[in-house]
Amino acid sequence: MYGWRGRIGLLVPSINTTMETEFWRIAPEGVSVHTARISGGRHGTPEELRSMENASKAAARDVAMVEPDVVAYGCTSGSFFEGPEWNARICEQLTEITRAPTVTTAGAMAACLLAGGHRKVDVVTPYVELTNERLKQFLRAHGIEVSRLGTFDMLDMFDHAKIQSEEIYQKVKETSGADTEAVFVACTQLRALEVIDLLERDLGKPVYSAVQATAWQAYAEMGVDPRITDCGSLLRKLSEPGALRPRAKRLRRSA
Amino acid sequence: MSRIGLLVPSSNTTVEVEFYRALPPGVTLHTARLYLTQITPEAILGMVRDMEAQARLLASADVDVIVLGATAPSFLKGLGYDRELIGRLEAASGKRATTTSTALIEAIRHFGARRVALGSAYDEKVNAIARSFIEASGVTVLDAQGLGYVDNLKVGRLAADTAYELARKVDRPDADAIVLACTNWRTMDVLDRIERDTGKPVVSTTQASVWAALRMIGAPDVTGYGRLLREVAAAGRQVQTA
Repeated sequence: MYGWRGRIGLLVPSINTTMETEFWRIAPEGVSVHTARISGGRHGTPEELRSMENASKAAARDVAMVEPDVVAYGCTSGSFFEGPEWNARICEQLTEITRAPTVTTAGAMAACLLAGGHRKVDVVTPYVELTNERLKQFLRAHGIEVSRLGTFDMLDMFDHAKIQSEEIYQKVKETSGADTEAVFVACTQLRALEVIDLLERDLGKPVYSAVQATAWQAYAEMGVDPRITDCGSLLRKLSEPGALRPRAKRLRRSA
Repeated sequence: MSRIGLLVPSSNTTVEVEFYRALPPGVTLHTARLYLTQITPEAILGMVRDMEAQARLLASADVDVIVLGATAPSFLKGLGYDRELIGRLEAASGKRATTTSTALIEAIRHFGARRVALGSAYDEKVNAIARSFIEASGVTVLDAQGLGYVDNLKVGRLAADTAYELARKVDRPDADAIVLACTNWRTMDVLDRIERDTGKPVVSTTQASVWAALRMIGAPDVTGYGRLLREVAAAGRQVQTA
């Protein structure tokens, strides 16, 4: 069947047009992506972001029926906005519904920065000020300091996908400082994946994106080496010897 | 850049994959799921309510067209019900819409087929409904055989070879085309082979759904998935001038 190596249950905000496309693009043979949409608005207001916690449960119920090996909650602000405990609660709730491990974009952001040993980073976002402050708080709670933050300052989440990769490249380059170890590009609606390799080469430091970090954690959870060689150092790490824990439950129930 | 919105029954593990793989460059796929555990009248009614809400979610991603990628729910109440569902989808979303069943009939007409052989993953009951849906459109179904499945997840586990084998089994010398029904059944990889070995066109519900969506957005032809998808552009021109 499709997804014989791993099935990803992907939950995206309904307005998101980038994450499914990027997840499909990097999925290797034997890995399938099954999407459900999280009901919500397009303006990323605090009320909308908070409401996603509840709305994601219906989406999880829908995606549970494909028996996913991992569930990815694909929204950065929708998982960091109310802090690490809120993020953990989202994971617990979605895992309870789907009976699959859950990764969130905010959780993956913190995990990839910690795995890289980064304590001081620069961040690029499309968010408005309040959301940017919440992002800094979330990372601070994980012991990570945001040195510089570059933003496109746009409230409309649908329009975040209209930001061209070239603009993301420029924004990362102008935001990155000499004193930081890495740059993280937040928001799963930003089309950052295609410029990550270029940025890492030109800046000489790791550059991560929301979609990339979520994929990294999802593949790690599934125990699948996707052999993605052109989307940044983070995903290439999955192919290093010993990077993946052997997972007995990969002996599929449906085989 | 064009965006196709696909409504998928929640337990379908096949149609997203086959749809995505068949899309030409510049066309992206965006999925929403319809909670559906079984094919019963009550469950279908629940699905229709859910369908309008999910179509609105797809509209929020500004898709160009919405496809109800579920065969049985769109033909269960007979010919004309698919049109009713299209009306509801379009009213709810403000986007153009189609259904798998509608696409199936359009694809059979596209080939001018008067007599077809039908193979499906369904049990006898649903297979008989599929047969009468096609016959209500004025097409004779010479033979109809199903693999007998009611559990959707099990259908998703079937190899594409089962579609090839059933297509050969139901085919009759006087059939103008072969029809394969169920979007959770893998068919796309064997369509070229069936056409080569039988010398006649084959229409699968997944292939017809892709074809209908692509011609609605004016996309180019696609190769590797049967004659139908190699005739998207010509069919699209007919749609534009209609």
